[in-house]
Amino acid sequence: MIKVACNVLLAGAAVFVTPATWCIAQESAAAARSAYVAARYDEAIAQYRRLVRSAPTSAEAARGLARALAETGRYDDAIGEAERYERRNPASPHMANVHGEMLAQRGRLDEAERQFRRAIQGNASDSLTARLNLLLLQQRRGEVVLAMRGFDGFITTYNRSRNLSAEDITAIATAVRQLGARNPQLFQDALRAYDEAIAADPDNLDAQILVGGLFLEKYQGTEAREAFEAILERAPNHPRALLGLARARRFAGSSEAMEHVNRALEVNSSLVPARVFRASLYAEAEQYREAAREVERALDVDPSALDALALLAAVRYLQGDQPAYETLRRRMLALNPRFAGMYVVLAEVSARNRLYHDAVRFAADGVALDSTSWRAFALLGINQLRVGQMDRGRANLETAFAGDPYDLWTKNTLDLLDTLERYDEVETPRFRVAIDRKESALLALYVTDLAEEAYDRLADRYGYRPDPPVRIEVYPSHADFSVRSVGLVGLGALGVSFGPVIAMDSPSARERGAFNWGSTLWHEIAHTFHLGLSAGRVPRWFTEGLAVFEERRARPGWGDGVDPGFLIAYRDGKLLPVSRLNDGFTRPAYPEQLGYSYYEASLVCELIERDHGPTALTRMLRAYRDSQTTAEVFRSVLGIDLDAFDGVFDRYLRERFAQPLGALKAAGPIGGEGAGGGHTPDGLRRRAADSTDFVAQLAMGQLLLEGGDPRGAIPYLEQAKALFPEYAGGSSPYWHLARAYSATGDSARAIGELRVLTSLNGGHLEALLALADHVEAMGDRAGALEALDKAMYVYPLDVAVHSRLAELAGETGDWPRAVRERHAVVALDPVDRADARFQLARAYFRARDFDRARTWVLQALEIAPNFTEAQDLLLEIHDARR
Amino acid sequence: MRPLGTGTIALLLALTTTAAAHGQTHLVVISGLGGEPGYRELFYEMGSSLVQAARDRHAVPGENILFFAERPEREASITGKSTKENVESAFAGIATSIEPDARLFVVLIGHGSAQGGVSRFNLPGPDMTAADFAALLARFPTQDIVFANLTSASGGFLPVLSGPRRTIITATRSGTERNETLFGGHFVAALVDEGADADKDERVSMLEAFDYARREVIRVYERENRLRTEHAQLDDNGDGVGSQEPDPQDGDGAVARTQFLATTRPGITTTATDDPALAALYTERVELNRDIAALRLSKAELAADVYERELERLLLALARANRAIRAREGGTR
Repeated sequence: MIKVACNVLLAGAAVFVTPATWCIAQESAAAARSAYVAARYDEAIAQYRRLVRSAPTSAEAARGLARALAETGRYDDAIGEAERYERRNPASPHMANVHGEMLAQRGRLDEAERQFRRAIQGNASDSLTARLNLLLLQQRRGEVVLAMRGFDGFITTYNRSRNLSAEDITAIATAVRQLGARNPQLFQDALRAYDEAIAADPDNLDAQILVGGLFLEKYQGTEAREAFEAILERAPNHPRALLGLARARRFAGSSEAMEHVNRALEVNSSLVPARVFRASLYAEAEQYREAAREVERALDVDPSALDALALLAAVRYLQGDQPAYETLRRRMLALNPRFAGMYVVLAEVSARNRLYHDAVRFAADGVALDSTSWRAFALLGINQLRVGQMDRGRANLETAFAGDPYDLWTKNTLDLLDTLERYDEVETPRFRVAIDRKESALLALYVTDLAEEAYDRLADRYGYRPDPPVRIEVYPSHADFSVRSVGLVGLGALGVSFGPVIAMDSPSARERGAFNWGSTLWHEIAHTFHLGLSAGRVPRWFTEGLAVFEERRARPGWGDGVDPGFLIAYRDGKLLPVSRLNDGFTRPAYPEQLGYSYYEASLVCELIERDHGPTALTRMLRAYRDSQTTAEVFRSVLGIDLDAFDGVFDRYLRERFAQPLGALKAAGPIGGEGAGGGHTPDGLRRRAADSTDFVAQLAMGQLLLEGGDPRGAIPYLEQAKALFPEYAGGSSPYWHLARAYSATGDSARAIGELRVLTSLNGGHLEALLALADHVEAMGDRAGALEALDKAMYVYPLDVAVHSRLAELAGETGDWPRAVRERHAVVALDPVDRADARFQLARAYFRARDFDRARTWVLQALEIAPNFTEAQDLLLEIHDARR
Repeated sequence: MRPLGTGTIALLLALTTTAAAHGQTHLVVISGLGGEPGYRELFYEMGSSLVQAARDRHAVPGENILFFAERPEREASITGKSTKENVESAFAGIATSIEPDARLFVVLIGHGSAQGGVSRFNLPGPDMTAADFAALLARFPTQDIVFANLTSASGGFLPVLSGPRRTIITATRSGTERNETLFGGHFVAALVDEGADADKDERVSMLEAFDYARREVIRVYERENRLRTEHAQLDDNGDGVGSQEPDPQDGDGAVARTQFLATTRPGITTTATDDPALAALYTERVELNRDIAALRLSKAELAADVYERELERLLLALARANRAIRAREGGTR
């Protein structure tokens, strides 16, 4: 295209003195620009250098060279090029804006300002961008009123101007975007203007990057990712696009964020926002030293970079280095007395590190500093909700949403708060439990007692009592729970503890029997103790491990157990050492690593208590409270170096699981979807000839069982059990043996298997129900009652199970339990409502609570006045109360 | 809040509902096109068990029961093949002989469909539309009618058939709910089995049967964690708008609560005896039941403790009366 255009020009434009030279220059400029747009920066730099040499007065060439240098982080070289151009062309204002931009990258703000003013006064071709840059500089210094007034002028400029360049329109769009802070509708206008700029010049990657950033800022992660990916298709090494993609991936919760930002920094190791972003990833992973190192590198490039300073202040704060934090805070306020962003970063980082009270304080400081910092209002509201300040939290979220209606997190949370109006709040001595009205009467029966029991036991263990009331919210919708936890849907967890507030899935939020809600509640209450005792400074790995450990101490069979996948990961070196175990939670390398890390961390706690006594874990929490690092905690409390402990723990695992490790052969897969683990029967039979192969024994047993040969299956399953007796997962040898023995009529053995299974895995609903059936058939009503009672902590929504449990309780004279279960039946709103109330009244009567018996029998008879049994009970109650 | 006085009771008595007409019950059960063996068997079983229960449990005279099924050769009690022609002929026959104060129950079992806004009941041969049934029902201007369409996509029948003296029950809320329904099976079970008699008066009203089936459907869907694809509805106030949760105090349900398959009314309304003392007890029981019903209607207007005390007083009296009746009858009930 260029060649053709030049030929046409040559033919009809004899006025040019050197048309051929001009055309060559144009072709080179196009090539340089093309290389720049494709992010082939070395090539672009070389091309632009040639252009600068051949056309030393060309501001376009000099600007291109400076920008290409800047994209690779060579800001000082870029500044040098600008200075050389200005020495050659002292009267030209056309390099001043780019010169200013480069100076600003290095934090030389006063010099940058002079350059921007020079470009504006000289009416340089990019003077509109210079005007924008000057206003952004003023904004960066806290001169917000002045800056906003200036941004406002861009709208007039747009309306009055014709023939605006793509760069001009981009500047206008960015100015309008700033105005969006006061009028959120203008974000739409900014987006339209960016689109206009891109349409005017599809090579304007800056506008495209700004669009991606705007999407991300407005929580449209998918659109942001698509915008950045579109840029990277054309310019695979574009550092700011890579950074944008990294941010978009983090928004989506992907671990790819680090990979993308690393690539950005490979291209431009001085890209300050990338350094700050990588530092924030480190901070999220509780790797504070690495975070600080990254930020310091950013500050080497730009000592005035406010975001970098804010993050460093946050890291110092997390590290407990109060003097350093204060110094940094003062430094930021000196640079920008209205820099609410500092407190936004501090609040965000604090919240990510479970310091919710601190997050509230920082966000409040941010709001006080800048009453238009909607993000600070949002963080204030969200974190107030996390510490149980419901009314204040809601009010601040309303303010945030009025200012920025695009904040999806805020919107979702406000929507959630609307739904909370249909929740009942049940008070106990130490808890306030919020449960959806449709299931509160049922769940409160179990949640309240269990929570109080957990409080007492954990308070005894830790010598610490969280301030009541601890708020527990139980969500029948997993999406609502997810919003409560992270502001967005899609969280995979079952529960979360913010310390004073716990949120969790109701059993109705998941498939029947999908999780042990009782164990989950205990786990989250344990976190509340850990967070309180450590002042929120306990690292993730330790509080998770300790919470699982507490589950196991709460009831037999609660808390994660070992499974073959965990041991295979250990055998294959895929488990993290204790010194890096936190990474398994904050940035798991493969999907299963998170689950394995929970179990591994719980074993660490078990080992510590075994070797260092019952108070060691509590002392560790106190050491974390004193801002010690994990390595320091291990040294000060356990008297061992963390690296050495890695070895101790490795030996512990190897010894503890020596037998199953030996039985997990490398010969084939574990399990599989169907019986036989995906093997052919003949292949499996051959493999099962090796009696030390756990997988083969289990799969062979399963295959025979499913094929209708329970007697043939039993020896294989028994052998599998002997090889790996701790394995009690959903498809463990115990379960299949119970089925096999049951099929052969050997109830006693079936009961034995089910008893062991449920003692190891209290969440196995089918096993609990089967155990109850078997033992009741054998006349063991107390055993059946015990099994069904355990089942309530897995799935309490089956009215038939409650009725059965109530009958068993009545038959065994356990009237308080019968009352509880009859209440559960009533709460589940059975068809026969009169009978449910009558049975409850009868249970109360037998428990000699005549007043409640009267209340409930009246309710039964109100529905069914001629209900003979209820009438007789009413007369009995009447007599008893006289 | 003032205490409840006898004057209030007297006033409330006037508000109590009266039972439905006392004429004979006629029942027409139509088991439609199964389409495949499983459904054919299921629909036949549902119809057959309902017919048997109507005859044996609810004492509907055999000659008042008509049962149309896809395969009439299966059993002698099947009146004929469930074709449009046979159904229309049967309705014409009933219309010529039915008493003016009788009750007509029509139950459709099978598949339904809806196309172009027309709801259909799928039969061997031509289907029958809601409009077809509207024409048939128009022949029964004085009789109480209960029309239960238990098929999929049956919701469209309700606005077409709604009217005075009619209780219309459909398994779905519209013609667009096309999946096979669970409601029908539970509705039939409510009339066949024990368990739906919520007020323990030894009879199952249409409202109780509807409520039983509705709750059981919800329970199944909740247990299986599925989105509900059927929403049954009932209309008995003739406004053409179905209620998914009918409430006799407010809108639909007040009539259906008084409608039973059984022609005779055993239990609490029994008054016939040669024993004057027993007759007095029966009368007392009837009156107490009326008083209780009246009190329940006034619940919202009374203080909770006042209501509860009065309720207890009446229920104790009723319990004692029933105990005395049982003793005098010599039975154990």
